[in-house]
Amino acid sequence: MARVAGSTALTAPVQASSLATRVIHYASRVAARSFTIVVLLLVWEALAHSGVVSRFMLPPLPSVIVRIIEQLGSGEFFVEAGRTLSRALAGFAVAGLAGTVLGMLMVRNAAARWFFEPVISVGFPMPKVAFLPIFILWFGVYDLSKITMIIVDAVFPVITATIVGLQGVEREIVWSARNMGATERQVLWQVMLPAALPQILTGLQVALPIAIIIAIATEMLMGGVGLGGAMLEASRSADSASVFAGLVETTAVGYAAIKAMALVRRRLLSWHQETQRSTGF
Amino acid sequence: MGQAQIVIDQVSHCYRPQRGREVLALDKVALDVREREFVALLGPSGCGKSTLLYLIGGFLPVESGRILVDGAPVAQPGPDRGIVFQHFALFPWKTVRGNVLYGLERAGMPQRERQRRAQQFIDLVGLSGFEDSYPSHLSGGMKQRAALARTLAFDPKILLMDEPFGALDSQTRSLMQGELLTIWQGSPKTVIFVTHDVQEAVYLAERVVVMSARPGHIKAVIDTKFDKGETDILKSKSFIEKVDEIWHLVRVEAIAAQGDRLS
Amino acid sequence: MKQALIRYLPLVLLALAWEAVARFELVSRLALPTLTDVAVAWFDLLRSGELLTNAADSVYRGAVGLLLAVVLGGLAGVFMAFSRAVNVLLGPLVELFYPVPKSALIPITVFWLGFGDGSKILLIFLGCMLPVTIGAYNGARSTDQALLWSARSMGAGRLRVVWDVVVPSALPELLNGIRTAIALSFVLLVLSELIASRKGLGFMIGLFGSGGVYDAMFATVLTVALLGFVADRSFQLVMRRALAWQG
Repeated sequence: MARVAGSTALTAPVQASSLATRVIHYASRVAARSFTIVVLLLVWEALAHSGVVSRFMLPPLPSVIVRIIEQLGSGEFFVEAGRTLSRALAGFAVAGLAGTVLGMLMVRNAAARWFFEPVISVGFPMPKVAFLPIFILWFGVYDLSKITMIIVDAVFPVITATIVGLQGVEREIVWSARNMGATERQVLWQVMLPAALPQILTGLQVALPIAIIIAIATEMLMGGVGLGGAMLEASRSADSASVFAGLVETTAVGYAAIKAMALVRRRLLSWHQETQRSTGF
Repeated sequence: MGQAQIVIDQVSHCYRPQRGREVLALDKVALDVREREFVALLGPSGCGKSTLLYLIGGFLPVESGRILVDGAPVAQPGPDRGIVFQHFALFPWKTVRGNVLYGLERAGMPQRERQRRAQQFIDLVGLSGFEDSYPSHLSGGMKQRAALARTLAFDPKILLMDEPFGALDSQTRSLMQGELLTIWQGSPKTVIFVTHDVQEAVYLAERVVVMSARPGHIKAVIDTKFDKGETDILKSKSFIEKVDEIWHLVRVEAIAAQGDRLS
Repeated sequence: MKQALIRYLPLVLLALAWEAVARFELVSRLALPTLTDVAVAWFDLLRSGELLTNAADSVYRGAVGLLLAVVLGGLAGVFMAFSRAVNVLLGPLVELFYPVPKSALIPITVFWLGFGDGSKILLIFLGCMLPVTIGAYNGARSTDQALLWSARSMGAGRLRVVWDVVVPSALPELLNGIRTAIALSFVLLVLSELIASRKGLGFMIGLFGSGGVYDAMFATVLTVALLGFVADRSFQLVMRRALAWQG
């Protein structure tokens, strides 16, 4: 089926073009991307100095950059990012494991499916952060309540992805395995899980940014060392440069997380068809 | 003549989908298949030929009638009845070698022997050099060879083939038909081959079982033993006449099947 | 009807379990007020008008922010799919803002616009625009070339083709993007009202929490949760209607 903008070669393998052409392509893509960003930064500078908005609202670019460098140099950034990430990753790990196990359970066991299905179906679209004050009531204002909230938010996409992945396994593959003498347990672990892996990884890829977002949000609400907490503090003390610095830093962390997961996916799914072609957004 | 290896006795099968009406797929099918015989199940879409294959394979439960293999009723899938699917059903996360090894691992074969045996069958189907390729790198024909190697490797005494060449282009299909015949003649097994292609059925099989449109029952069983080694067999008079004869039987059913779908 | 009952029975059982655990004080009454207490508190809030006023405040903020995000985001996405120039211009921006953790936008919006409606609307607009843009973009891009050409050959002009072919083709992904945006808007709304607001449902939750009025707090939390759920289900109905042709 031909598409509107650009075509993706589904079966043709990625050609190893000459180094020169690849470098040129890469450079032009970087240039194209930088162009808009450069324009954006220039507009920022212009606005900051024009007097249309006060220095207070939109600090000059240099002051933000200076603040970032200060925070990197003093190690402040690493401490804060480390705390935020450790909470996010802890929650993510638990959510990933529990979500996959629960998904598997729901696919195999009708009772589990009956019990959890409405809970997930009703719970998924709810803003679970609304329960944060209840968690604070129950678990206090330290890491436990933060991580619990992260787990609750991140687990849903993992569960649904696992279920979709397992249910979508081609029937004939399962039959082939049974045909070759595999027991039901072997079929589950050796065949269904690997077959469902692409979908499960997608669920994990959705869950990680959620974990980070919630980690930051809980810090803002409850205080504590971390990127979110620092940003809110800066906001309260009218330290505009720090607020923007924090935004850049959290974005960098978010970006690193997304890239890391993409890398893990590529590694784990090197056999999969999708790694053969370039993807869009 | 000894007892048949596969006995299909008054087998009916009903599909009960989640939504919608029940559909009677098979209606009192009865058939005997002798050991090492090559039988084709031929019929229009929806006539239940694949369903019958899945019942013999143990993938669907036999609810009405009986199916006996070597005198014992079929209960579960098992390595005595190897299956090859139309869309290959290869494990995409395993290499060709990994796929072929799987059945041997399940059988508990010692490491050295299964490596040797896997290589033997990979070579047999002509995939030497592609042992470490993943299915996503292979063409349709190559995938089907891999699937064939995988099933043959664990030496099932019965081979169930569900339109195995249906997803291939016609040139590859012709090549694969010839190769299958060669392999079968080299190590004869019982083969039940499902297809909707009359010529393929007549070429490959010793007996062609023509099935009616849904609900499927056996309309006719035609003997198609030819000297398949004869050159240009496909153009020989006797072959063409046989194809013609069977095509007329199938045609009526194909038209009926069409009407069934439109209603 | 019976199907629905069986399906939601686990929730009923959980509610009963809640009531039992609270009533028999298996946990402190303070930490878990009984479901009946919460229900009573809910009705009180309803009667006093507090619930409705604050709900209206919250819904107003969320709706305006969402509307802006959907309209502007949708247009941006479609134009990016069609105009190479727009794509070059806006594409990098989308890629740049994609990894921003949405909650990180809260301090900035509060910083700029304070504790009022403006900061919430801006927050939701900024945070929710991305999923809509991406949905619109992917949806528009995936339009089958053959359909476009067929329409053109039947005499449809360029703009007409966008309306007749591209929009329907893009609808599934666009609507899914909007669905994501709706859920996200609730999250951002609740967070910003918990952190920096003087009215709204989130604010009420915080107020009751710090005041120790836990049954009212639970009642408001459940109200918010329910609103999010209802919004999603309602939108699903809209989606089913709009995509009925998919079959």
